[in-house]
Amino acid sequence: MSAITVAKKDFRDAVRSRTLLALTLVFALFTFGGAFLASWTAELFGEIEGDGAQTTMDLLFALQTPASFLVPIIALVVGYAAIAGERESGSLKFLLGLPHTRRDVVLGKILGRTAVVAVSILVGFAVGLVGLVTFVGSVSVVDYLLFTLVTILFGFVYVCIGVGLSSMTRSTTKAAVGALGMVLLFWFVWGIAAQLVLFWREGSFMVESFPEWYLSVVSLPPDSAYAAALGTILGEDGFTMASIYETESLPLLAEPWFGFVLLAFWALVPLGFGLWRFDRADL
Amino acid sequence: MTAIDISEATKRYGNETALEGLDLSVQRGEIYGFLGPNGAGKSTTINLILDFIRPSAGEVQVFGLDAREDSLEIRSRTGILPEGTECYDRLTGRQHVEFAIESKAADDDPNALLERVGIADAAGKKAGGYSKGMAQRLMLATALVDDPDLLILDEPSTGLDPNGAREMRDIIREENERGATVFFSSHVLGQVEAICDRVGILRDGHLIAEDTVEGLRDSMPNQTRLRVQVDRIPADSSAALEALESIDGVSEVSADGTTLVVACEDRAKTAVLRTIEEYDVSVEDFATDESSLEDLFMAYTSNDRTEVTP
Repeated sequence: MSAITVAKKDFRDAVRSRTLLALTLVFALFTFGGAFLASWTAELFGEIEGDGAQTTMDLLFALQTPASFLVPIIALVVGYAAIAGERESGSLKFLLGLPHTRRDVVLGKILGRTAVVAVSILVGFAVGLVGLVTFVGSVSVVDYLLFTLVTILFGFVYVCIGVGLSSMTRSTTKAAVGALGMVLLFWFVWGIAAQLVLFWREGSFMVESFPEWYLSVVSLPPDSAYAAALGTILGEDGFTMASIYETESLPLLAEPWFGFVLLAFWALVPLGFGLWRFDRADL
Repeated sequence: MTAIDISEATKRYGNETALEGLDLSVQRGEIYGFLGPNGAGKSTTINLILDFIRPSAGEVQVFGLDAREDSLEIRSRTGILPEGTECYDRLTGRQHVEFAIESKAADDDPNALLERVGIADAAGKKAGGYSKGMAQRLMLATALVDDPDLLILDEPSTGLDPNGAREMRDIIREENERGATVFFSSHVLGQVEAICDRVGILRDGHLIAEDTVEGLRDSMPNQTRLRVQVDRIPADSSAALEALESIDGVSEVSADGTTLVVACEDRAKTAVLRTIEEYDVSVEDFATDESSLEDLFMAYTSNDRTEVTP
């Protein structure tokens, strides 16, 4: 219960941030733009594909692309100072002077900040929905809701990464550098490194069929896991590894459903490590 | 019955020792003033009591419970005013108090608490716009939630004007009369003297004296404050002051116009008066006061003085 009390307080505090408002506006702008793009592609492909697949494709265009870039940024911006910031200002001594365990504080922060990110996602997706209805006409409500849920889960994962980093240090600067490092790692370094190893092992970037280890490695980052999880939920494999790399047999790590396991991994590992460090730290 | 019992507590940060073998105990129901210059280790001690930091060696107990293992129960029975704490800028004063009430599963009335610390009219305003003194009052209101058995106040008069400091003392007294043990730290002495049952003086991580205010006075019976009225300011006044300060037994000299105040041991009095006359001024009047805690404190914590064990 203590974690819930912390979460409620934290939500009230963090949701009033101006930075969050700005990021949410940018996000809404992108989902609206995405919906417009979706209507444009609908005209291009509308006659070839069936209606069911079309709706899903619209969602992917309108919502997934902006979400996969902006949700990590929003979640990390919302999360990185959650604990380090309070340590820096000293308000953590007020918070921990009250009868909360350190674990309650970290969990409460994660719940509160996830709720904040969820609000941002709901606003962005609501605007996206308006765009979809305006430009495309029909949207599957079930798909839309599932999409929203998985995206909130994705936001939760990055909140865990952000708050986890935040609980390991007493400096918000270090936490911010760590958060930026995670973005660079997952968006650029990971893929480039995998490609370099591929080149070193195979002698070429362009191979006939990608080896299993490569498919596994590129499936690992939370962003790939999010795409895989969405593919599983929507019964649409357009954005999963199998279709991108045109292979029949997939290693376990690259199976679409395994995306959920990977998301859990990326949430729990930074959270667990952060808790462990914070529990032993001198404030 | 002891409320706080610290034995042989040592805290090191790398090579630096913040606290060394500290023994300290606070009885239930007393007001304990924890004194020392900045950096002496007062906050370190409070952080140990609240499990904000862990001792390198030694033991800390509160209400007979282990500060580490039973921290949650300790904190649910304690009200805390941390030093120089920032509030949550985007939450109102009332929301802060409501949060403390919910955290302690208490049923206090937030408005009554805010009224008591004198910021009821700012209850609905965001704390980001509070002055330092208002923030300090707000933190005190949260510390009073649920009538705690123990109040721990770290430099409570920080940011308060004299009036605010007096109100703070009144609240401390009221809480103590209700039955609460009060442990508070300060580097300013004027106000401590009036309300403390016992005083501990910390210097460089050691408790160098611990006694009642009277007891501390008795341990330095020859300490007096000499007030001297001279007929004029000597031409070489700074040299005169230096000469006075260098007299054996003098701990502090201050001058205000033609009035000189010298804190010194009894035996140095004659030397002081003689030195003044050497600078071609005549003493028109002089009086001796009983030493204040301030003088004792100066004597205890100034570097040239040897340590006194209580």
